[in-house]
Amino acid sequence: MSETVLSVRDLSTSFFTPRGEVQAVRGVSFDVRPGEILGLVGESGSGKSITCMSVLRLLKAGGRIKSGTATFEGQDLLSLDEDALSDLRGNRIGVIFQDPMTALNPTITVGEQVIETILRHRRASRAEARARAIELFELVRIPSAATRLKSYPHEFSGGMRQRVMIAIALACDPQLLIADEPTTALDVTIQRQILALLKDLQQRLAMSVILITHDLGVIAETADRVLVLYGGLIMETAPVRDLFARPAHPYTLGLLGAVPDLRDDTHRRLTPIPGSPPDMAAPPPGCPFAPRCPHAMRQCLDALPPLFGTAHQSRCWLHHPEAPKVAGLNEVAA
Amino acid sequence: MLGYLAQRLGMMAVTLFAIVTLTFFLMHAVPGGPFVSERMLAPEIAAALNAKYGLDLPVWQQYLNYLGRIASFDLGPSFKYPGVSINSMIAAGLPTTLRTGLLAVICVVALGVPLGIVAALNRNRWPDTFVMFVATLGVAIPSYVIATVTLYLFALRLGWVPTFGLDDWRGYFLPVFALSGFWISFVARLTRSSLLETLQQDYMTTARAKGLRPGQVLFKHGLRNSLLPVVTVLGPVVANLVTGSFVIEQIFALPGIGRQFVLSITNRDYTAIMGITIFYAAILMVMILIVDLLYVWLDPRIKLTKATA
Amino acid sequence: MTDIAPNAWEKLPPEATASAPPPPAPTFGQEARRRLWANKPAVISIVFIVALVLAAFIGPFFSPYTYYKQDLKLANIPPAFETYTVSDGAGETTRIFLNASNFNIYEVDGQGHVLGLLRGGRKDLIQKSQPFTFGDTEVTLDYSRLPARLLAADGSEIRPSGWSWNRTYLFGTDQLGRDILVRQLYGAQISLTVAFVATLVNFFIGVFYGGIAGYLGGKVDAVMMRIVEIISTIPLTLYVVLLMVVFDSGLLSIIVAIGSVFWVDMARIVRGQILSLKSQDYIAAARTMGASPARILTKHLLPNAIGPIIVTLTMLIPSAIFIESFMSFIGLGVTPPLASWGSLTSEAVETLRAYPHQLFFPAAAISLTMFAFNFLGDGLRDALDPRMR
Ligand SMILES: Nc1ncnc2c1ncn2[C@@H]1O[C@H](COP(=O)(O)OP(=O)(O)OP(=O)(O)O)[C@@H](O)[C@H]1O
Ligand code: SF4
Ligand SMILES: [Mg+2]
Repeated sequence: MSETVLSVRDLSTSFFTPRGEVQAVRGVSFDVRPGEILGLVGESGSGKSITCMSVLRLLKAGGRIKSGTATFEGQDLLSLDEDALSDLRGNRIGVIFQDPMTALNPTITVGEQVIETILRHRRASRAEARARAIELFELVRIPSAATRLKSYPHEFSGGMRQRVMIAIALACDPQLLIADEPTTALDVTIQRQILALLKDLQQRLAMSVILITHDLGVIAETADRVLVLYGGLIMETAPVRDLFARPAHPYTLGLLGAVPDLRDDTHRRLTPIPGSPPDMAAPPPGCPFAPRCPHAMRQCLDALPPLFGTAHQSRCWLHHPEAPKVAGLNEVAA
Repeated sequence: MLGYLAQRLGMMAVTLFAIVTLTFFLMHAVPGGPFVSERMLAPEIAAALNAKYGLDLPVWQQYLNYLGRIASFDLGPSFKYPGVSINSMIAAGLPTTLRTGLLAVICVVALGVPLGIVAALNRNRWPDTFVMFVATLGVAIPSYVIATVTLYLFALRLGWVPTFGLDDWRGYFLPVFALSGFWISFVARLTRSSLLETLQQDYMTTARAKGLRPGQVLFKHGLRNSLLPVVTVLGPVVANLVTGSFVIEQIFALPGIGRQFVLSITNRDYTAIMGITIFYAAILMVMILIVDLLYVWLDPRIKLTKATA
Repeated sequence: MTDIAPNAWEKLPPEATASAPPPPAPTFGQEARRRLWANKPAVISIVFIVALVLAAFIGPFFSPYTYYKQDLKLANIPPAFETYTVSDGAGETTRIFLNASNFNIYEVDGQGHVLGLLRGGRKDLIQKSQPFTFGDTEVTLDYSRLPARLLAADGSEIRPSGWSWNRTYLFGTDQLGRDILVRQLYGAQISLTVAFVATLVNFFIGVFYGGIAGYLGGKVDAVMMRIVEIISTIPLTLYVVLLMVVFDSGLLSIIVAIGSVFWVDMARIVRGQILSLKSQDYIAAARTMGASPARILTKHLLPNAIGPIIVTLTMLIPSAIFIESFMSFIGLGVTPPLASWGSLTSEAVETLRAYPHQLFFPAAAISLTMFAFNFLGDGLRDALDPRMR
């Protein structure tokens, strides 16, 4: 299994709320390969964050992983004991969260928040950890690193805070970096800087990255492969070029808008699709996209489509050999 | 920091001035005068007393005199106990009130905070239900009820502790418990809700995502921030312990300032009422200032905003 | 894949795929009411409070007693007693009970009605005994040793024949022989009246002050909030005490004293609400449409701020009850013979050694009421503002 860094199989996660069970993730499987950037896209609430947080078992109160495995360096993260897992978190697997305003502890200096991570995983003296923290701040291009260590998060701008988060995530040279919408909360120009920084670091440090985003432009520019999530399910997965060149799933097509143009330099936000996502407390038995799908068939309401295809996969009944022909959507190109 | 301190001290001076003024004029609004209840007093004696205490002067002059004396920390003489100064009254009661009050504050922090933590960490399980039930009891039952009921049970019926006085160390149990019961419960509830909220914060997830051990996550990242609101109520806690001490010292016959105050009220000893009120207010404001400084020290976000403001 | 029926591939018309429109979302009010009714302690509290109010204001009409009528002969009678049966030798029996703390003997009937105090013979102050005669039978009350005993003529101890609830004075009488139940109900009346009226006064002052500060904003707001800041550092209970000293005790003074002092929280909340609402679009819209400030305040701002206001009000009532009882307890509240829970408790404390049961009723009443208001406040908070949980 040397060609996968992380291998997730049949992951299902639910939240148990007063309203009932909310099935946030329903049987997701995917691999992350060494040195690749895997993009996760989907509308809000499609289960992107919960998928990643499940892998690290960082769910908030009420969340429970119902089934699945997540193999990382030969160990199943989902059945590992808490101690061993916490040895991996922040060490072999780094995480960056969406909102740098709330993800840092407001009452502890940023330096300390980096240093404590190093001290937790490395045999190092405080002075060594501090030297490493300065090195990291320089790596993520925070100016006058040594003095900024003593600052508190509120003394930083959003972009600078996200750099601190990246420094924390990279503190112990992780094998895998999970970046959950690392730029969504930032200004456009800062977004670009942070993304460029991430991509640069990924190449220099030879990490694998899972990049969650709303921004198809970001995916087109940075990702190697893409997972499209909807209603807690993988709808389509493909190498990034295939996905943009030959999207096979009506949902992906909807996301891309009418004419996807890769060469268009402007960032293309997800185009809103009419209708709203399914209620995950009572998911429909058939295709969750059926109420919004222009091609919906009787079959779509009755049964959940399987994933068709191999390297490029898509979960749509249109790919069934008996299905009626719809231009461009019947073939899942390999 | 120094600027902030100066600003706070200035505010304190203004507030104290307002309190002194308000108290002075309130007490002078009492119909009649301080000696009115002494019916037997012959007119010439009353006049002599009025002259002696400067009560024959116009009110504004009395007020200025009073301000002048306050400024030199002299609360004046008692009208009911000739030759006794309010300062000496307070000095006599202070040790008792201070000791019970301090013990009560210690109980509030040492019991309220851990109970709240236990409840929050066991949310919706039996320790939580239990602590919250007891805490609801604690905030609902008035201190004087706690005092009288425990006095009856533990002192009169069971005889485990003395019924009054502090000569025996066991004498502290009931007064301190009655004083702190409400605030233990209050702080337990506050700690619980504050910690629950902190546990939901993103930075707590970050702390776990960094691989920190559960103890580090809870104590270093969780507790400190969730205790900030608890620190802010410590000021009011002290304030209410003080007023609570009126009844508690009365019920347990403790020779403190609270009992002295209630006694002064019953005796209509106006200078004593005034003096003790002002003394209480000053103590409280010092306490609140200390608590606020503690807060600034604990929460780095405050320093910058206040200092620049 | 052969089990798929051919007609399964029919394209569905757009309306068939659209899932049934979700039922209309409940309004905020409905949702809040549902949450409140689902909260058992809060519902029980509401029932309790309604029952208490009814009992306090209507109950006294059904009682033959008043809160001020004294009957020293019938002082300190307990709500339940052990009865002795004494026969007078001529076939008549008398049921009596012995008040073990004041060594009085009362005649009672079979149902537990108190018929009156029995006059005995001369007390023997040396022997600590007193003879009582019932026809031919002589019974001696011996209080030389405690507890006091009743002795028959032959010196043997008479055993109680049973025990009975006091049917005349359900809760017993106090040290002046007043019916405790009726005093308790009057006390509840006073405590509740003071609490409600004082809370209302606070409410109006707070809404008015906070509303003006929040609505006008700017310098006025800054100054007004500075004043609030100063007031909130003053120990307010002390000021209620001072005001009571100035006004002299009484119902009206305590209402004024409490009502004028505790509006600061309300003012803060109203101001905060109004500031946050002011920034919202529909207020700006109303303003550009030329609505007057008063209209904006009453028609737009207050209805939206009502949730936190109600919660604060419900929390203010128990504090007002508490402060009133506290004042009455230290002798600054209502004047005797009027009663409130605080003065009833302090009266009971005077007789705590001999008649501890007298403490039970006012203590239980105020504690249960505080409980109910606390639960109701918590319930309302959870129902009206789920975020504050
Ligand atoms: N704490 C929670 N309690 C209940 N349900 C939750 C909770 N957190 C997430 N969910 C549910 O899980 C589903 C997936 O949420 P998730 O956060 O993974 O979405 P996402 O794809 O990351 O969306 P976004 O782009 O908004 O971050 C959502 O439908 C949401 O309703
Ligand atoms: S399975 Fe049916 S409803 Fe779902 S995306 Fe494909 S065509 Fe549309
Ligand atoms: Mg997310």
